[in-house]
Amino acid sequence: MPAFKTPFNGYAVKFSPFYEQRLAVATAQNFGILGNGRLHVIDLSPAGPISEIAAFDTADGVYDVSWSESHDSLLIAAIADGSVKLYDLNLPPTSNPVRSLAEHTRETHSVDYNAVRRDSFISSSWDDTVKLWTIDRPTSVRTFKEHAYCVYSAAWNPRHADVFASASGDCTARIWDVREPGSTMILPAHEFEILSCDWNKYDDAVIATSSVDKSVKVWDVRNYRVPVAVLNGHGYAVRKVKFSPHRGSVIVSCSYDMTVCMWDYMVEDSLIGRYDHHTEFAVGVDMSVLVEGLLASTGWDELVYVWQHGTDPKAP
Amino acid sequence: MAMRDLVTGGAACAVPGSSSSSNPLGALANALIGSSSQKERLQEIPTSSLNPSGNNLYPGVVDPMSALPGSELEHPLHQQNKGSEFLNGFHAANDNRLAEVWDGIQNPQVPHFPPGQPQLQPELNGPPQRVLSSFLHSFVNSSHGGVPFGPTQLPVLGLSEGDKRCIRDRSSIMARHIFADRSEDFINGQVNALLSSLEIDNQGMARGPMPGRYPELEQYWGESQAMPPRPHGPDGWADEFSQQRLGQADPNAWALSFERQHGAGGWASEFEHEQRQMTSVDRMAGTNIPSLAAMEQTRMLAHTLAQNNNPKFQNSKFLQFVSKMSRGELTIEDNQVKPASGDWANEFQQQYNAGPSNWADQFAHEQVSTAPDRWADDFANERVHHGPVDEQWVNEFSKLEVNDWADEFGRQVGEGILGDDTADNWASAYDEYVNEQTVLKQKSDSSRGVYVFSDLNPYVGHPEPLKEGQELFRKGLLSEAVLALEAEVLKNPDNAEGWRLLGVAHAENDDDQQAIASMMRAHEADPTNLEVLLALGVSHTNELEQQAALKYLYSWLRNHPVYGKIAPPELSDSLYYADVARTFNEAAQMSPEDADVHIVLGVLYNLSREYDRAIESFQTALKLKPRDYSLWNKLGATQANSVQSADAIYAYQHALDLKPNYVRAWANMGISYANQGMYEDSIRYYVRALAMNPKADNAWQYLRISLSCASREDMMAACDSRNLDVLQKEFPL
Repeated sequence: MPAFKTPFNGYAVKFSPFYEQRLAVATAQNFGILGNGRLHVIDLSPAGPISEIAAFDTADGVYDVSWSESHDSLLIAAIADGSVKLYDLNLPPTSNPVRSLAEHTRETHSVDYNAVRRDSFISSSWDDTVKLWTIDRPTSVRTFKEHAYCVYSAAWNPRHADVFASASGDCTARIWDVREPGSTMILPAHEFEILSCDWNKYDDAVIATSSVDKSVKVWDVRNYRVPVAVLNGHGYAVRKVKFSPHRGSVIVSCSYDMTVCMWDYMVEDSLIGRYDHHTEFAVGVDMSVLVEGLLASTGWDELVYVWQHGTDPKAP
Repeated sequence: MAMRDLVTGGAACAVPGSSSSSNPLGALANALIGSSSQKERLQEIPTSSLNPSGNNLYPGVVDPMSALPGSELEHPLHQQNKGSEFLNGFHAANDNRLAEVWDGIQNPQVPHFPPGQPQLQPELNGPPQRVLSSFLHSFVNSSHGGVPFGPTQLPVLGLSEGDKRCIRDRSSIMARHIFADRSEDFINGQVNALLSSLEIDNQGMARGPMPGRYPELEQYWGESQAMPPRPHGPDGWADEFSQQRLGQADPNAWALSFERQHGAGGWASEFEHEQRQMTSVDRMAGTNIPSLAAMEQTRMLAHTLAQNNNPKFQNSKFLQFVSKMSRGELTIEDNQVKPASGDWANEFQQQYNAGPSNWADQFAHEQVSTAPDRWADDFANERVHHGPVDEQWVNEFSKLEVNDWADEFGRQVGEGILGDDTADNWASAYDEYVNEQTVLKQKSDSSRGVYVFSDLNPYVGHPEPLKEGQELFRKGLLSEAVLALEAEVLKNPDNAEGWRLLGVAHAENDDDQQAIASMMRAHEADPTNLEVLLALGVSHTNELEQQAALKYLYSWLRNHPVYGKIAPPELSDSLYYADVARTFNEAAQMSPEDADVHIVLGVLYNLSREYDRAIESFQTALKLKPRDYSLWNKLGATQANSVQSADAIYAYQHALDLKPNYVRAWANMGISYANQGMYEDSIRYYVRALAMNPKADNAWQYLRISLSCASREDMMAACDSRNLDVLQKEFPL
């Protein structure tokens, strides 16, 4: 499939949970250091180029995007100015963003929509906090403030509606239950900053963390002292990690070494795929829930690739 | 790639400064306001003129390493790390290159381009927005392979303060991700180079991440979260927290520490503090790492990355930036790596009598590079004079109508939650004790400095006992090192270095009494030795002997080759805390990369109980010397003193990671656990510390108390008879 070119540097890409051909791409100008941002919504077509069906400009870079699980046209965007913005594709651009929630005092680095409850989402920020929101409220429901440094990623547990994990630059990942005031568990997962975390979709107690130390580690929270697996192979910091929605032991990760790697952590030689298509840091990656094996990645080379696992991402 | 075209395609030779001749403001306004209306952020463009203030960006080179005697000993003790490699790189800094760079700046007509290389320069002529854009692109896309980069005098870009802050914060955070395996200094250097080119003030630099975790910490975390995670309920300690909140934020830290000693509830308030402190401490602005360091580090990174044969990296613009930066954006001051200061933490520890952690001890047992442990010795000696060290302070407590301190403690704990008035009683009782001690101290001055040599020293007669002692110290065989060094000072009683190292070894071995004695002798042998002075200052600070402490610390300043001039001599006679603190702050501003100054500041702040500032200072020092294990211990002790025992454990763990046989840190760990009411754990740590050095008297005391608190009277006999075998079997770690 052809690649999609964005004017700004790519930061995140997410498949829509409703439409198998639809993706959202978060981009930021000047690598997100300074400048504007743009949120793209693109559609793949079976034979032909990728088309953009909507684009929203923002005053600051868009660091992450998440699709709503309750409305097929709703998107949540994490903006570098600390706000969280809601976009509705069904509304004209002038009515968008539908809502701008500005509570974080530093850059908002990630958003994740709750796939179980479908009414709430969490945002994590460089101000060390994670905030819980519902789409109908103008203010956050809860603020989780325990991390000692930027929280780079927060991810809901796919099975337990109230549990989520956060990954932070203080080298810990924390598991939280929104009903509890403090974190339920602290995983000193890496010796360097942890940039991303994700839950296993088939085993609700397994979590993967990826770190600046170039590794991805898989943990069972029931025995958090020793990782289940340590996946080495990236040459630089691993920016994002994602569990496959179709195979319980498959993980995909993207890294500043410009590659996207696919792993099976139950297997002796875990690396089962490596894609070297980006020419700059590979910063965002996602696996489609609706189409097995469909991967998307974006990077600072301003390209979005969508391809089937096992094929060449660059092949038209 | 569009931006690549912008950068590579026909970019004019970067003649920095040339664009300054044209007024960028008009072009800027047109470019920005005329372009997309949604670019809100760039609309406000302050007017300013290009200021070729290159001079400000090129401070002179300072070589800190030669400043302190004894610092040469520090290097072998430090594990090999990239930081020291970089520092070695600094010292081997090619002055010629700096001259080249400087010429390049001064003579912008002559940019130096290696032949045959594509010129990947940022577009410097053009509307400022594009300039900024391409410059940031070149930052990210620098390659390692020898792409030239003339000094970057960018035209005025009209960045607002908010813009600058964004650039600063985000680029430093990103740089940390990208250059993960480089030292902190290197990363700061990279960012500094970027920021300086953009003329962004670096002072309020974005906070850095917490120091990296170490595997052993997992264990402690595991132990501190004793129960397996339940999806609904918090962990064990959290339960404790909710059940036993006492939470009196008693401004009197002494009372607080007592509260901690005597009730599990105390740690709840610690926990609160920890929560607050953790955030605030880590928000502290990073040190302003001089740009010379940055450039050196950049150069080394560029060189290292050049080794990567992956052609993608060869072409990567991000890495190009790295080498561009290395080629001379800024001269960089050397990054100071000064030894940590002395063991005044130890003193502090003793002061609190098994309350706050033993970082005071650590202070006394300063590692080799750091100042000697005189004050710790003093402190220990002061105790010594009371009679058998073991029982003395316990007896002191008896005078306060507490029959057996340990029993009382045990009873207190047995009662469970400590009532407010009980804490107050302890506080007042403790205050009384302290007052008594002060009186006793004054009497004991004369008996300080009495060093007790070991019998049957196999190293007597050794041809080179000093070298042997240093070697053994490096290997971590502290007790052996002590013997060798004793042989040395027996041979040469005026060998200040021998006495100093002996003091350090004793301190690390958790033997305060001997440590202080050694340091006093070292001071006698060499009154101008900076490390000795520092340690003495520290020890006196721990004893809250403000005048003595100020005297030594001020003397340190006066004898210091660099700071001597800012310390007016007349001040020495009538020392006021405020004056000394102010002078040290001046010194800190003079050379912010001097870890020692920050360490002393931390000491001073402990003296005035401004723990937050003390923690800040230590963390600043730790940024400069992340591998200084005794500095970690100091930090831990300060945190423990300010009711953050959980944080303290973290810091001790760092110290132990750097030096696994650091007896003092083991003991301090035990104290911190005891402070949180985790007596079983604390016992294990004490036993471990004692197994390494059975002569650590105070550790025996603490062990006894913890045994009592944990209701292990069965082991009391073993403790009293110092039967380590039994204890080790019973309480393995």
